[in-house]
Order: sequence, then structure tokens, then C-alpha cells
Amino acid sequence: MSFSTDNRGSVTRRAALGALAAGAGVMAFWPRIPRSRASIPAGRKVIDYWEKWTGPEGDAVQRIVDRFNSEQSLLWVRRVPVSEIDTKAMVAIGGGDPPDVVGVFSYNVPQYALSGAAIPLDSIGAGATSIRPDWYAPAVARLLSFNGRLIAGVSSLYSLALYYNRSLFAEAGLDPDQPPRTVEELDIAADRLTIRRDGRIERAGLLPNLPLWWPYFWPIMFGGRLYDPVNDRAEFDALESVRAYEWVAGYPRRLGTAESREFGVAYNRSFHSPQDPFISGRVGMIVQGPWLANFINLYRPGLDYGVVPAPVPAGLLDPANPYGLLEADVLIIPRGCKDPEAAFEFVRFTQRRDVQEQLAREHTKSSPLAECSAGFYEGHGNKFVRVFDAITRSANVRILPQTPVWKGYAHLTEGAFDSVWRGEAAAAVCARVQARAQEMIDRSSAVRAKRMVSSEGRRAS
Amino acid sequence: MSAPTEGVRRWREVSLGLAWISPWLVGFGVFLLVPVLLSVYYSLTDYALLDVPVWIGWENYRELLSDALFWKALRNTMVYAVLSVIGSSILSVGLAAMLERPMRGAGLARAIIFLPTLVPVVANCVTWLWLFNPQYGLFNSAMGAAGVQGPNWLGDTRWALPSMVFMGLWVIGSPLLVCGAALKDVPESLYEAASLDGMGARSRLMHVTLPMISPAVLFNAVMSIIWSLQVLAPPMIMTRGGPDGATLTYSMYVYKTAFEFGRMGYASALAWVQVLLTLTLAAGALWIGRKGVFYRAG
Amino acid sequence: MWIAATLYAIPLVWMAAVSIRPAAQAAAAGVNPLPSLPEGDPAPKWSVAYWSALAGQSSENYSGVWNSPAADFPTYFRNTLMVGVLSVLGMTLASAVAAYGFSRLRWPGRDGVFVLVLLTLMIPQAVLMSPQYLLFKKMGLIGTMLPLWLPAWFGGAFSIFLLRQFFMTIPRELEEAARIDGCSHWGTFLRIILPLSRPALLVVALMQAVATWNDFLGPLLYLNREEQYTLSLGLQMFQSQHGGTPWNLVMAASVIVVAPVLVLYVAARRFFVGGVGAGGVKE
Repeated sequence: MSFSTDNRGSVTRRAALGALAAGAGVMAFWPRIPRSRASIPAGRKVIDYWEKWTGPEGDAVQRIVDRFNSEQSLLWVRRVPVSEIDTKAMVAIGGGDPPDVVGVFSYNVPQYALSGAAIPLDSIGAGATSIRPDWYAPAVARLLSFNGRLIAGVSSLYSLALYYNRSLFAEAGLDPDQPPRTVEELDIAADRLTIRRDGRIERAGLLPNLPLWWPYFWPIMFGGRLYDPVNDRAEFDALESVRAYEWVAGYPRRLGTAESREFGVAYNRSFHSPQDPFISGRVGMIVQGPWLANFINLYRPGLDYGVVPAPVPAGLLDPANPYGLLEADVLIIPRGCKDPEAAFEFVRFTQRRDVQEQLAREHTKSSPLAECSAGFYEGHGNKFVRVFDAITRSANVRILPQTPVWKGYAHLTEGAFDSVWRGEAAAAVCARVQARAQEMIDRSSAVRAKRMVSSEGRRAS
Repeated sequence: MSAPTEGVRRWREVSLGLAWISPWLVGFGVFLLVPVLLSVYYSLTDYALLDVPVWIGWENYRELLSDALFWKALRNTMVYAVLSVIGSSILSVGLAAMLERPMRGAGLARAIIFLPTLVPVVANCVTWLWLFNPQYGLFNSAMGAAGVQGPNWLGDTRWALPSMVFMGLWVIGSPLLVCGAALKDVPESLYEAASLDGMGARSRLMHVTLPMISPAVLFNAVMSIIWSLQVLAPPMIMTRGGPDGATLTYSMYVYKTAFEFGRMGYASALAWVQVLLTLTLAAGALWIGRKGVFYRAG
Repeated sequence: MWIAATLYAIPLVWMAAVSIRPAAQAAAAGVNPLPSLPEGDPAPKWSVAYWSALAGQSSENYSGVWNSPAADFPTYFRNTLMVGVLSVLGMTLASAVAAYGFSRLRWPGRDGVFVLVLLTLMIPQAVLMSPQYLLFKKMGLIGTMLPLWLPAWFGGAFSIFLLRQFFMTIPRELEEAARIDGCSHWGTFLRIILPLSRPALLVVALMQAVATWNDFLGPLLYLNREEQYTLSLGLQMFQSQHGGTPWNLVMAASVIVVAPVLVLYVAARRFFVGGVGAGGVKE
């Protein structure tokens, strides 16, 4: 009796397994056209375009792509949203299987240029079909070029500025029409806005560790260069960096190291959501890019806020030429691209003024081009776009060091920022970063020299 | 026609044997031996993923010593390994003892506990991301209902790594089965003898059960060390090594170095240090274990 | 015992529970696995109206994932099956052949080579990660699905070990009888050894199926086009793109990824336990 049930059980089980295997085998090779391919009209040449944006910002990019696809009938751009894009792009290019166009970051430009991973744009188009550096604002042209070659086109541009909550200013007895312009004024405003209860921070006026995305920002605002391109030297032990980090250290000292750190970490995952520390009013001031306006419009349209260039030490103040850090999302055509001419046509389309301005408006950013059209600022989604624009065109605007080791260097400043936050002496921390960064730079140059010798040797033999 | 000589016969045997194992032999050569040798060479070069390798000798290994992230990743991994080894040893022995008792539905319970071992790691991580969510995740909801303010599990530098260990304990199928098998092998007569000697349940556990299954526990501990040193997907999917590097495990750092910073040479050097470390720790565990482990004769 | 089992069931149960919630309740605190439905005017949990609303919500979520414009899960599903079928076939066949050479043939040096097979189990994956990537790069296979299943066609140390142990238990007399009937080694292998070893072969096949299904790092490194993604990678991309916002859809996608493994487990639990007990599944 029990034997027969057992046996039957195993027979059905075997049948089930067999059916599963057969089903899997059939389905595995069932012809199916992937959705991403099904929508491509016949006869068009496909250009794969990797972009980082998702959500509404991704939709804005898609509208640009749609426009390109409808304006001509030979090419078809397929936008592929890719997260952690510079990593994925490097792996794909390094592996020899790149897409046709990739949207990376401006700090990638030197690395891509030096390793030949991006096809310089000035090597493709000629004459009337070229992309010219003088289309862009001067600082933007610097971002896109390396060693005199135009490496990338711009996708969207951003600089960093100080957002402040006007209602909170009024509530704390500060004049909303007199936002801080120097770091000294910034400290005073920050302290007035801060509310602490039972040793916990209820509201912060400003926390330099919120967000933690640009740990090298304040050294730049204190006038530091971080890097001397002529002599290929890191400059992190310069007085400006040390002073900046000493100033940063004042915040944990006044607010408590553990409390301020906990506050910063707690919000690190909620940026650009309704719980964003600035949007929800948990910080009175924050250094952020132009996109924040977009999220304020989305989650708290009634928020009464203002934007000004980030404050600097009193000695540097120059209202006509504000300090700031300029970065961009850029488009490159990677080495190994199957049809650089076709890819170039798309990149060139995106550099057209009307297209640039459409994307800039939808991303609530300023225009990267040398000249704006008359209507650009009207009805712009970012009320303070002119502040960002002034930073872009300022004589004091800075771009990140154009060295291929910048990513590693930046990584060092993250650790340094944290050490300073925990109370270590700024001078010692900066000296340490300096030594490591210089080591990286020296090694990179030495290796480059060696590589050049060996590749020339190979060519000679 | 004469019989083949001894030498010829041996040669035939060997070539037939090699022919049969040739799939493995070729795979071993191509996918293992070549990569391993390449890795040794690359560890002595500066190899940017986008560029060609350049020989630099021991430079990568020298750089390791002054690399703060290397030390941080090493420390995180050690903490992870120690916590996991302790946690999974206790848990697997406890659960195995519980499940070995003849009870109604033990089979079903065993199946449920075993199941998470097969859940794809991405799905696993996604689910735990939700469970760990500080605002609406199950853990903090439950703790909130009990009147306790739960921590910000993955977002807090102190909690993030222990949270991952905790999640890892959910995947306990293999050590559990090993322990279960060992428990089954403990001869009933030993328990009977122990009872006759007047031992209580507690001292039976300490003096009979644990010594008898200690080889299985040691085996699990060694495997757990090896796996802990290789933990990669959970921090990659859940925290990207954050917050503030708190979950940057060693393998994650190797991955980041290779595929995020594009430094293939340095990543290879890191990987070789990991091999040495794994071997040292596993050997160390075996050496320590040798004293405490009871092997039955025969 | 039941407490332990319940604790271990929690994550999967909640994965399923969140997957049938409306979006608004997916990110709401609470310990009740069942959502309140219909929204706004909740029906009591025992009523027919409640359960039909729940069924409606579930089918909405699941079809939302399956037909999502952000991710092509039907294609990922097919891709995963394809890689799975190819690597299971390869792994089982190649390992069986090699195991035959290690067990049924006597040749000098055999056991020495077998020790080498076992030693390869000790090599951490991290050492192989980058050089294997560079190797496939040299072969020009980055961006194809070959790196995901090709290595399986050369067998795996653990599978060879498992099959060798099994083959060793097959009595030699059977083989000798076949030899007398004029069977070659190949004939013996096909007609005697393989049919007798079905359970062991099944264990190897299942282990490989699950390993392929769960593989995340391989697809992440080798695949560049969305139309090639496997389920694991597709789920990760779906999850990270959404930044965790519509948790109900992310969980529904997770259930889709987990379900086939569950089905396999229910159909062949005995074999899984056999394989994993020998130490095979890694996380």
C-alpha cells in the first residue's frame, strides 16, 4: 500500500520534472523580438545611446531623442537608461563592446582623452558639419576639451549654489533679502537657524556634510585650485584647502561630532524626495545644483526659498564675478563605436541651440552655450536660473582638476572630509591627501611615459 | 603479433584517461590556469582597463600598505567573517538539533528553513532592502508597534555591517544540512550510556553531542570563513559599500578597483592578498579546531 | 521549531505580500501583511469584495511588471532560460564524461589529477573575476551571452566530484559484462553508466540550473545590451532605476524571479537537499 503511493508519487514527480525541463527547453529558444527592438521602424540605422537619467529627467532626454528620430529618416537613436554609467561605460569600452554614444561626466574627459577611449569630436566633423568649441561659454569649452582637443559634447550643465529657506530666515529673525555672501555671514546665519533639543539636532542651519557629494567643494570656494596643470602637481596642502577644512570642522565642533554626523547620514538617502532635508525644512540652507528647483516644484511648490552664489571668505568676495564649481554631463563617442559618423550626427544635433535650451529648461538648468536665445529665461522652471548662469559666465568659476587620476583624488578627499569631521587637524589631513594624490599623479605620468616608450618601440620594430 | 610492451600499455591507458577527462582539462587550462597566470602578471603591472598594461614590479603591493581603503575593507571583512562564523555556527547547531527531533511537520519546517538558500541573491537583497527600511520596513514597523524606535539599519555606520551579517544568517541551508547529517550519525548508544551515567540534557549536549558533531561544525566554520571573505553581491546591491564605507567588503573593493576605477593591475594584487588571507585563515581555523575537534577512530 | 520556521518564512512571505499591495500602501509602515482594499473604503478582510479587490490588485501589479515599459521581463525570462538550458546541458554532459575518466578507467596519475580538481574548488572567485573578464575580452566575447554558459561545457570541479563518487558505487561486473558484449568505453558510458546515474545527474543539473538562475555578477560584467539581460540583472536594474519607489512592482518582479526556483524546489526537493548537503550552493 505505502509502496504503491510512494511509487506513484515519484512517477508524477518525474513526469512533472520532465515537463518542466521540456517546457524550459522550448521556451528558451522560442523566437521573441525584444521590446526594445520591436519599436524600431524598418530601414533605420540604430544608434545605441546610454544615458544616466531616469524618471522625469530621463523623459526629458527621451523627448530630445524622439525629436531627432522624427527630424530625419535614416538613423534611429535608442536611449538606454544605465545606472552607474561611467563604470558600465568603462567596462563596455574596455571590453571592446561599447554603445555608440555615452553620456558620462565632465570629470571623465581627461581619462577618456588620454587613453583614447573617446573619439575626439574634432576628428569627425569638418567645416559646416563640425562642432566648434566657440559655441560654448569659455568655462564649458574647457570642461569639454583636453590637451586642445574637443573630446565631448555637452548634455547638461550645472554649477553649485546656496539655497536658503526664506520663511525659516524670517522665523529666525534673519533678513530673507540679505542672504549670506561670506562664510563669516554664513556661520552666523547657520547658528541662528539651528535648533537643538535634548542633545539632538532638530533643525540644522547648514551642514557641510549634507550632501556629501562634493567634499572638495569648500577648498575650491576658499580659492584653492586643487591641482596645478602646468607642473602636474596636486595642491591640496595649500593654505586655501587647510583653511576650508578648518572652517568645515567648526560645524561638528559646534553641533557635536556624533550628532551632526548622524543627522547627515540620516538624510543621505532621501535627497530629491519629499523627505529631502531642504525641501522638508530640516535644514535652512544647502549647497546644491540647479536640479533641486525641479524637485521643489514637484514636491513642495509653495516653498519660499532663494538661491545665491555660495559664500566665500570675505577677502575673496567679488559680487560681479561669483565663485563656483562648474560640472557637466557630457556626450562622448567611444572607441569601438561602429559608425562614428552616424553617432556624430546625433551628438551634433544635441548641441544645437534650440535642443540645448529645450533640455536645459526641462532639467531646470542654465544654458552651456556662449549665447542664450532671447526667450530662454522666460517661464524657465528655475526662478534662479540667472544665478547659475552668472556663475557659469563668471571669471572666478572653477572646473575640477583635469587629471586622469581625479576620481581617485576625489575619493581621497572623501576620507579627508570625514577625518576632519571627526576632529583630526585639518593641516595634517590635507598634507596626507596631498602626499597620496601626488603619488597617484606621479605614478600615472610615469606609467604614461613608459607606455609611450613601449608603444613607440613596438611601432619602430 | 606480439603483446604490447609495458610502456606502450601505460601510454595507452594514460592517453585514454586524458581523453576522457579532456573537457575538464581544457576548461581548467583556459578558464583557470590562464586567468590565474595572467592575474599574477597583471598584479605586477599598471593596467588601466581602457589602456594596455605596463610593467611596474612590486609597486601595487607596496601601494596596498598605505591604502586606507584596503585596510578599511580588510577590517570590515574580518568583522563580517567573525560575526558570521559565530552566528552561523550557533544557529546551524541549534536549528539542526531542533529539527532532528522527531516531530510532526519537521519535514515542512526543514523545507521552509532551507528554502532561502535557493532564492536568487538579487531578489533576496531587494526584499531585505524593504524589510530594513527605517520608515516603513517590517522590522522598524514591528519595533515601532512594540514602542521601540528601530535603528536606521543599512543607513547607520554602526548597524549596516551587522545588518548584512543578520541577513546572511537567513541563508543557512548548507551548514544546517551538514550539521543535521552529523547529528544523525551520533550513535544512540552514546546517549543511552550518558543517561545511565545520570547526565542531564545540558551536560549531554556539552559532553556528547557537541564533541561528536565538532568535525561538522569545524567544516562549516571553514566554509563560512571562505564565503565571508567573498561576500560581494549584497553590499553591491544594497549599499554600494556605504554608508561611509561601512559595508565595503574586501571582494567589493576588488570589484570596485577593477571595474569602477578600472585598475586591473591593482585589483589583481588585491585579489592575491585575498587568496593568501583565505588560505591563512582557513589553515588557522583548522589548526585551532584540531585541538577542540573530536574525531572518532576509524 | 515552528517559531524558527516562521522567522525564516518572513522575508519570502513579505515579498509576496508587498507584491500584491497598491502602490500607496507599499511604502506604508505596518505589520499586517494584507493591504486594506479597496482603497479609501476598505472592505472587511473576510468578505468576498475584499478578496476580489485583492485579486484585481495582484493581477494589476503583475501585469504591470510583465508589460512594464521600463523593463522587458518576458525577454529577460527567455534569456535566463536559454543560458540555463545551455549551461545545464553542458555542465551535466561534460562533468559526466570527465567523471567517467576519473572513476571507471584506471590510469597512472589519475588520482593525482583528481586532487588537482578538488584543489581548484579552493580558488576564490575574486582572483578569477578580472582575468577571466580580460580573457573573454581577448576572445572578443564581451557583450555576448557566451561567457555565461560556455565555461559550463568544460565541466565543474564540484559536479565532477559528485558524479565520480556516484560512478564509483556502480559495480564493475555490469561494465565487464558490457565489455564482453563488445561495448566500447563510449558505449558503456552511454548505455550502462548514464542510465544508472540518473539521480546524480539530476542533482548536478539542478544545482547548475539554480546557480545559473541566481548568477548576478556574470551578467553584470558581460552583458551590455538590455535585450540580453537575465532576470537577476534585469531585477537589479529595475530596482535601482526606480530608486525603490513603487515597491509593490519591485516585489512583484522579485516574485517572478523567485517563482521558477520555488517550482523546481517543490518538484525535486530531495535532490536539492542531496546536492546542497554536499556543500554545493554558494551565496
